[in-house]
Amino acid sequence: MPEIVLVIALGWTTLLVVAGGVLLLRADDMLHRILALDMLVSLIIVLLTILSYLNDVSYYLDAALALALLSFTATLVAARYVIRGRPF
Amino acid sequence: MLDAAVAVLSTGFLGLGLLLATIGLYGLLRQREIFVQLHAAGLISGPASLLVLITSLATGRAEIITSALLIAAFVLVTAPLSSHAVGRAALRRSQAPDEPDDPVPEQPDHDGVSSR
Repeated sequence: MPEIVLVIALGWTTLLVVAGGVLLLRADDMLHRILALDMLVSLIIVLLTILSYLNDVSYYLDAALALALLSFTATLVAARYVIRGRPF
Repeated sequence: MLDAAVAVLSTGFLGLGLLLATIGLYGLLRQREIFVQLHAAGLISGPASLLVLITSLATGRAEIITSALLIAAFVLVTAPLSSHAVGRAALRRSQAPDEPDDPVPEQPDHDGVSSR
């Protein structure tokens, strides 16, 4: 893969993460915040993946996997908290 | 020849994934309703992430490809589940705003006699 493409993709994904931060700051509700954080973690997984392609090492992807696992659990627990008032 | 084809294909996949992520984020910023926002967020956490992760096939490194495909499988399983959890929470909250803790009604026993 050409390196210039990866650099441009990395910059563009960083801009998307900034826009996701704006979305998180604009959220006026707990569910909107949960959704924005979930989407932000997806964008950071994309960012780490592109960084891994660019540097040609694989251990950024392990961080991305751990982040995906934590984000899944956190979203489920927070959504349950919104329904019930307690996480479990 | 083959190298050029792989480069073009991977660039196309990466560009398509980032385009889908941009469209989804635009929808999220544009709409204020939570269910419409869920529709837009599904575009980011589903197809956009998968397209970027599938691009790993072009790197040709075994460690990167296995890790990326593992993350792709995980995202494929968990993205609908978390989206469903948020949607169900929004639906419950919109249906019964002042409901106490557990809105599930009491079920009678099998022999027809209520337990309490």
